[in-house]
Amino acid sequence: MSDHAASAAPPTRFPWANLAEILTPLLLALAAAGVVLAVAGHNPFEVYWLLAVESFGGTRRIAATLAASTPLILTGLATAVAFRAGAFNVGVEGCVFVGGLAAAWVGFSFTGLPAVALVPLALAAAVVVGAFWMLVPGLLKARLDVDEVVTTLMLNFIAISLTAYLVNGPLLAPGSANSATPMVAEAARLPKLMPPSTLNAGFLIAIALLVLYWWWSNRTALGFETRIAGTNPRFATASGIDVPSLIIRMMLLSGAIGGVAGGIHALGTVGRFVSGFSPGYGFTGIAVALLGRGSAIGILLAALLFGALTTSGATIQLFSDVPIEIVNILQGMVMIFAVARFGWIFARRRRA
Amino acid sequence: MSVSSSKLDPSIRLGAQGVTRRFGALVANDRIDFRVTRGSIHAIVGGNGAGKSTLMRILQGMDRPDEGMVIVDGAPAVFLGPADAFDKGVGMVHQEFMLVPGLTLLENLVLAHEPTGAFGAIDRQAALAAASDLERQAGVRLDWDLAEEDAPIHVRQIVEILRLLYRGADVLILDEPTAVLAPAQVKELIALLKKLRDEGRTILFISHKLDEVLALADQITVLRNGKVVASLPRGEADKAELARLMIGEILVRPELREASAGETVLAAEGLTVRDARGRVGLSEVDLAVRKGEIVGIAGVAGNGQDELASALIGLGRLSAGRITLAGVDITSVDLARRRSLGLSYLSPDRAAEGLCLAASIADNTIAGHHRRADLCKHGVLRRNAIRQHVDALLDRYMVKRSSSSLPAASLSGGNQQKVAVARELDGDPTFLLACQPTRGVDILGIAFIHQCLIDFRDRGGAVLLISEELDELLTLSDRIVVLYDGKVTGEVARGDAGVEQIGRLMLGGGRA
Repeated sequence: MSDHAASAAPPTRFPWANLAEILTPLLLALAAAGVVLAVAGHNPFEVYWLLAVESFGGTRRIAATLAASTPLILTGLATAVAFRAGAFNVGVEGCVFVGGLAAAWVGFSFTGLPAVALVPLALAAAVVVGAFWMLVPGLLKARLDVDEVVTTLMLNFIAISLTAYLVNGPLLAPGSANSATPMVAEAARLPKLMPPSTLNAGFLIAIALLVLYWWWSNRTALGFETRIAGTNPRFATASGIDVPSLIIRMMLLSGAIGGVAGGIHALGTVGRFVSGFSPGYGFTGIAVALLGRGSAIGILLAALLFGALTTSGATIQLFSDVPIEIVNILQGMVMIFAVARFGWIFARRRRA
Repeated sequence: MSVSSSKLDPSIRLGAQGVTRRFGALVANDRIDFRVTRGSIHAIVGGNGAGKSTLMRILQGMDRPDEGMVIVDGAPAVFLGPADAFDKGVGMVHQEFMLVPGLTLLENLVLAHEPTGAFGAIDRQAALAAASDLERQAGVRLDWDLAEEDAPIHVRQIVEILRLLYRGADVLILDEPTAVLAPAQVKELIALLKKLRDEGRTILFISHKLDEVLALADQITVLRNGKVVASLPRGEADKAELARLMIGEILVRPELREASAGETVLAAEGLTVRDARGRVGLSEVDLAVRKGEIVGIAGVAGNGQDELASALIGLGRLSAGRITLAGVDITSVDLARRRSLGLSYLSPDRAAEGLCLAASIADNTIAGHHRRADLCKHGVLRRNAIRQHVDALLDRYMVKRSSSSLPAASLSGGNQQKVAVARELDGDPTFLLACQPTRGVDILGIAFIHQCLIDFRDRGGAVLLISEELDELLTLSDRIVVLYDGKVTGEVARGDAGVEQIGRLMLGGGRA
């Protein structure tokens, strides 16, 4: 799978090149979806203008877009970290579930603690559980060359079902009929940045991690080794880099960031863990990482794009007769064009 | 260059007239004129990048000229593809053989053109009859029921040639046919090709081994920088003149100072490698490389060189044996630790292992050294120090580049290899394992890399040189150890290293 990851984690460091790489699939998707809109009897330009206004027109709309982007920045980052090392980790969705449940459990169990202790403790629990969730696929890939796409994909179903069982049984809120844990303590909630919007301190954590990722990937020896190992593992091995150990460490890191994504979603937005906790943040994160070509700035822009589509999609049908499905089609088109480009690179590599 | 006018001349079986092929700004073939007479052996010689391969691809229908034309039987022709060329009797033996493992030699011979009997069953008797007819024409005897993967490489090459004849080709194009053969097998191949010529076949072959060219060819065409610089009959050609024509200047062979070998740097005892199926790849090999000497490993490809290299760098599993580097037992330590003890490794596979072509030239230059104190502090790369180090190092190795932040793939083959050599000799290792150090490098690049290895040796470095180029081994080595079937069959010291003796050892012969 290293070839996949290599194209997701190129050695380019120029933000403008990345910007063009993100914009190309976006423009193609807008054009293709425009045809669909026109055929359905809508004026594509009007619809797109409406989408832009709904996602960026005014402070509250921007806050909503940023809030929707927060989990996508984190899941995109989690995926990119694994891609960079040559591991095609599609199990971030599962990490979001187990990490979210772990953070929520700490949040409603240790209610006596002050916020300065409780929030870090809850997020630490999400980190540990998320990393642990990726331990077995990481070991299997690094030591036995078991395809991580299969193992991590399957672990997603286990994570979703396991957490669903827990919130229906042992961790079900007393007196509650729907599958949800009790609400976390007020001290465990992440502070809101622009009430009444759900935008919270989690966004700042995500941005901080993104900056850290940029610095790590471009400036540190470990980031260098990860990039080389992801691009050409044989070369990395011959240079004395311990590729299997690197893969395990990056899978753990990927799981940890995925866990944080779940923890922040639980503590910042939902306030507890419910079954059906994530609407596919982990999977959208794959598209974010691919579209962002593994670079920090690219992940941010791609996450903002998908965040904007989510917020505007939610409200567009209130103000027009455009059905929400159109927004879903647009999202899907962006993903297809992002991945198609990537498949083209993959094919070219195979030929080379 | 006795090229007559473009009048129809049926004695010309294959040729080119004014063939030009450009790739971007590069002119790979520049108005090439040449003629191969029916029933003759014609050699094309030239350094890397001279345009030989491009011309062969055009003559075999895999590529088409931008200008000019291919001549078949004295008349202009257009090849739509290799199959079309084949229909006109032109077939090619590639450097990588195109035989199918799992089938016998006979099955490979008739593959896709099987003589069939009732209900489409392969008529084995007819196939055998065709095979023995070809054997007679070529003057060889083969065990046709041998599985392809069990046949020695020179037998596979013969099958590849006979397969073209079986399918009706009478013009054979051979691309570096002797590259994979031991000296005795080269003689066999030369005899076989001459026999085929005497039977009326036309043979065109590419080589850069001038001795073989002079032994085999009737006519020799020399290419340089995409142009025909000379075309002469064998009688008028000699080795020095051909070399001068190929290179355009006289190359001085590196002078080897008398080796002043010191204490043993690398010692291997009883190295044995068995693969998962129990096949012995390396058997009881003892080896010592001392400070200030170059030890060459000779052998036909696939006789244990790969296993030896993997064992020394710690990437292959060792069944038995012990390796010490500067007195430290490294048998069970990983490559990173071996490198920190002074081991350096120049990979034979530049594109897949020696470099990371998608990464920048700078990244390729520092990989493996990137945690050194002068390039990295507390795990953070020192970017200015790295930039200065990379530029200084690549300047010293004369790597032609426009910017070290471009991908390594943007460099020419020779410059890519120089980057790998620069990196591996950086930081004064004590021991260098150099595998095929000049594979795919042009003749000037070869001279440069050879000088680097000699300088390293003269500074007190120990080198184990694994190469398929006998010339290279003879030029550089203080001692040559010969491997055959995973065993050391002999060792020859500098001075009394004769090609004949090494050749005999390469085929398993004892010390005669």
